[in-house]
Amino acid sequence: MEKRTWKTNLFIAAMIAPSLILTMGIIIYPIINTIVTSFRSSDGSGFSLEYYKFIFTDKIAVNNITYTMGIVIVTVMGSIVISYLLALYLRFTDSKISKFIGTMYLLPRFIPQLVAVYAMITVIRDTGLLNRISRLFGKDFRPGLMYNAKGITLMNLWFNIPFATMIIVASLSAIPDSVIESARDVGAKKLNVFFKMILPLSFKDVMIAMTFVFMSNVSAFTTPYVIGGNNPIMLGVYLRKQFSEYANYELAAALSVVMFLFSSVSAVIYIYTNLKEKEWEKV
Amino acid sequence: MKFLNPKRWYYTLGREKLFELLILAVFLLFFYVPLLHLFMLAFANKYQVPAVIPQEFGLKWWKYVFEQKSLVSSISLSFIIAFITTLLSMIICLPAAFVLARFNFRGRKLIMLSFLIGNAFPRIGLYTSIGIVYYKFNLMGTFIGVLLIHMLGSMMLMIWLSVSAFRSVPREQEDAARDAGAGPIRTFFNITLPIAWPGIAVAAMFTFIASLGENQGTLLVGLPKYRTMPVEMYGVILDYPATAGAVFALILIIPNLILLLLMRKYVGPETLARGYKMN
Repeated sequence: MEKRTWKTNLFIAAMIAPSLILTMGIIIYPIINTIVTSFRSSDGSGFSLEYYKFIFTDKIAVNNITYTMGIVIVTVMGSIVISYLLALYLRFTDSKISKFIGTMYLLPRFIPQLVAVYAMITVIRDTGLLNRISRLFGKDFRPGLMYNAKGITLMNLWFNIPFATMIIVASLSAIPDSVIESARDVGAKKLNVFFKMILPLSFKDVMIAMTFVFMSNVSAFTTPYVIGGNNPIMLGVYLRKQFSEYANYELAAALSVVMFLFSSVSAVIYIYTNLKEKEWEKV
Repeated sequence: MKFLNPKRWYYTLGREKLFELLILAVFLLFFYVPLLHLFMLAFANKYQVPAVIPQEFGLKWWKYVFEQKSLVSSISLSFIIAFITTLLSMIICLPAAFVLARFNFRGRKLIMLSFLIGNAFPRIGLYTSIGIVYYKFNLMGTFIGVLLIHMLGSMMLMIWLSVSAFRSVPREQEDAARDAGAGPIRTFFNITLPIAWPGIAVAAMFTFIASLGENQGTLLVGLPKYRTMPVEMYGVILDYPATAGAVFALILIIPNLILLLLMRKYVGPETLARGYKMN
């Protein structure tokens, strides 16, 4: 760090202050507030863990946790694997079709969530497009994707595959052709090149993609709220219900802390993979 | 049925081409059929059960949607909020992003981290806890309350994308301008800002789009007075016929598509992916 005058320091402080105050006000303070609220006891006598106990012992709550985790894990695995394959295809195939997909796959990132969910509903519901097409062939096919985990997962894949593909494509294009060609020149097999070079070189970005897919789906609200069933429900919907319908602020707060802890596990992995390179310390 | 014989396809196209076409077909079916279907429904006058293609096309439902007062007012409200949100977050976040990109100081890492924490903490949890704070300060159902929620949604991306935009400006170029006698302010506006501009514009675009699409937070703190388009969309999904819903959904997409078209030069995976790395 170079020596700076007090003027520069003042300048830095002045530039950063507004966003810092905003962060304090709408991120840090609410988080602290939530954590404090979650430890309140129901009779108001002070500190207690009863809401956490409830979350991990109540049958409905536990059911909702396992339901959410199931959906999230399938979503993360599914979208990462599919995205990796798609990214490999986009990176290493040079054809009109791959270029076309390469320009088209980002569009879903720009579609408002509710619109995308609605568009999917018009296709998969019982009087939707799939059903109507099946009627052309004299059958009455009902996809059965509404109001259950399958529908939510399908929608999650729709949202997360473009995102994960974007991160992985960026990572794969950073691997120069010459590196791969030289490996091939000395006789490395395709699979070897993949496992020894491409996968390790893109591993860090795969972790980044996984973290963000995981985090955004643990606390998902919109999709499960619109096309999820009534029981079990995902944690985001459960939290909202506790807050708005039962005004159970303590339980809602404890639920957000629990969801935060789930997300933190992946966030720690993310920070760790990021720190290892120390790139963010460079100025 | 010769046409449907897979072997025939295999030999005429070759293995790789066939494989590519399969990828393309699955890709389009999954990602684009729902959207195109919605597009078609928006221009259908009559769409009764067995029909795959609507029985009658027309603009009947557009007229219907524009006759619903609550829907029309939600459209203008959404745009006003999105515009102010974008402007405010640029004013607040850009100076910080510049300093974070250019100077190393104590607490810098902590600040970058605090934006990440805001992203790791479940949004819905943040909104509910902000809701409690709002009750205390009488911000529930106020314009400022809604604006703050919208800024929360876009702050991390706004800062991170702008930091990497400012960092992509070569230091040497700034130094050269300073050597030639330009002051720091002139250097910033003539050298730094023009080079960093595409990245900042992408960040601004995302803020605008995120604000237009924000629904959970507004649903929680904006009601009953501030009903933006996505908030109305919840009701539309439940209560309106699919043809009217499609019209309203299309109105929600159009601004995003226009922005995407305008910015397509700058919106590539490389620029966007940078925003998710903690650099």
